Amino acid sequence: MTGEYYVCTGCALLCDDIEVETEDRKLSKVHAACLKGVARMKGCSDPLECTVDGEKADIDSAITKAAAILRNAKNPLIFGHGNSSSEAQKISIGLAKKTGAYIDDTSSFCQGPIVEAILQDKLRTCTLDDVRHKADVIIFWGADPSNSHPRHLSRYSYFPRGKERQRGWEEDRTAITIDIRKSSTAKICRDTRFYQIPMSADAEFMDAIVSGLSGKIPKTSFDFDKKRILELANVMKKAKFGVICVGLGLVYSLEELEPLFKLMEKLNEVSNFYLIPMVGQYNMRGFNQNLFAETGFINRVKFNSETGNANHGAENSVVEALKNKSVDAALIIGSDPLSSLPLSVARYLTEIPLITIDPCQNLTATRSTVTIPCALGGVEAGGTAVRMDGVEIELKKIVESDNLSDKEILTRIMEAI
Amino acid sequence: MGFGQFLAAPEIKLKIVTYRDVFQNTAQESSRFGEEYEKLSAVIKLDLKDISKLTIKEGDTVIVKNGFGKVVVKAQKSGYEEAHPGIAYMVNSPWSNVLVPDETGGSGVPKFKNFEVTVQGAKGEKVTGIRAL
Repeated sequence: MTGEYYVCTGCALLCDDIEVETEDRKLSKVHAACLKGVARMKGCSDPLECTVDGEKADIDSAITKAAAILRNAKNPLIFGHGNSSSEAQKISIGLAKKTGAYIDDTSSFCQGPIVEAILQDKLRTCTLDDVRHKADVIIFWGADPSNSHPRHLSRYSYFPRGKERQRGWEEDRTAITIDIRKSSTAKICRDTRFYQIPMSADAEFMDAIVSGLSGKIPKTSFDFDKKRILELANVMKKAKFGVICVGLGLVYSLEELEPLFKLMEKLNEVSNFYLIPMVGQYNMRGFNQNLFAETGFINRVKFNSETGNANHGAENSVVEALKNKSVDAALIIGSDPLSSLPLSVARYLTEIPLITIDPCQNLTATRSTVTIPCALGGVEAGGTAVRMDGVEIELKKIVESDNLSDKEILTRIMEAI
Repeated sequence: MGFGQFLAAPEIKLKIVTYRDVFQNTAQESSRFGEEYEKLSAVIKLDLKDISKLTIKEGDTVIVKNGFGKVVVKAQKSGYEEAHPGIAYMVNSPWSNVLVPDETGGSGVPKFKNFEVTVQGAKGEKVTGIRAL
């Protein structure tokens, strides 16, 4: 072992207690990370090759071709960023400005509204370290960290001893899951702390909790046991430090955030509650913060190439831009939209010049005009990233790689335009 | 060839909820084109009543389709204690994304966790490979 701690980039928990053993510029052992983190840090078995028009190419030709594609496009799309360092993201934003591109990331169709509300001070948030040291009531709402963020419960939210929570989960913490199915996390919370609600009923359940917190009888159209809602309201009311971990189940169920704002407002009238979005990709929040600092918007931006002005709106989201076929070329960084978007939306990418920058082969890369392999963030390249709770974390390079970092690749494309 | 070959397999309408699975996600990190990723992704988890309505056994392949696409995946029992007829679960993957509607009402957010499909036994047809999606 190297005697040093490294950061895992498997998800936005950015666990910073990872020890590794190396052999021939690869990680032979990864200690302390979860299953998914170990797989991420050890690297994939099918690395991306540098290609132009399906033929093997050198990096210089690939960069020249990528620059030509972006230069010749009237409305290019730059998408991905969740698996890129903040430094690469900033170059990408500059590239979008220079080329008059649409720029977006996965937050556009997942945690975006929550991160935006936090950055606009509309939702009260805290750090994961606060959760570890202080939280006594932890609510996983539409979230299943046992699968999405496997070390969330053991490092921060439920099992650990914290400064003010020396008796950990046995006595000091109450974990609650609100979900439409009995997830792996719900099993940990046990039956009495699992609230199974119907699909799309989250807003109504929030209103019922607000009623309970206001001393009224909580009613739901699905006849949820009123006593259980009152019990839940009571646990929330008595919390010294409560936190709601917002998962995609909740985000997708809410048509607007108003019910969540109302719940948080009421909770903070009668108790002390915070909220953390369960961000998936390791630096999605970094992209949101970097774009916010530059434009005042967290995602869904289209730059005007002449004025540099940023236009924001749903029509500039990756999904609507592809659906409306308003883009004429695309650069994808650290993402695989042909896997992660509805195929009926993403299929249009196969009709336009496409560039993929990624350490690994993926579906989008198989349909790309240009593919450029990059160094794996946090293993073969350093930089900074922003954890799901907004804390900036430094990534160290562990081993050398023949591949350039995504920041270097984007810089060279920018210079070649 | 049995007589069953000539009968149309029963077709049922289901709502799909997608979810995350750490083992499938780990397989994705290793290789999106590997057997393990397909094995853990190309799956639909059904309620026992729906399995009997389809007249299939666990492990049989089924055709899952709607107006947006069609995939052949393996049927599994969901294993949830609570019955959930009419609702099936698919892990978030390129297979489920073939079926996610493009309808967004202009919001930019597809309904990844709530969409309708029809399901019927595939009579031994092979699982759709990732490159054939």
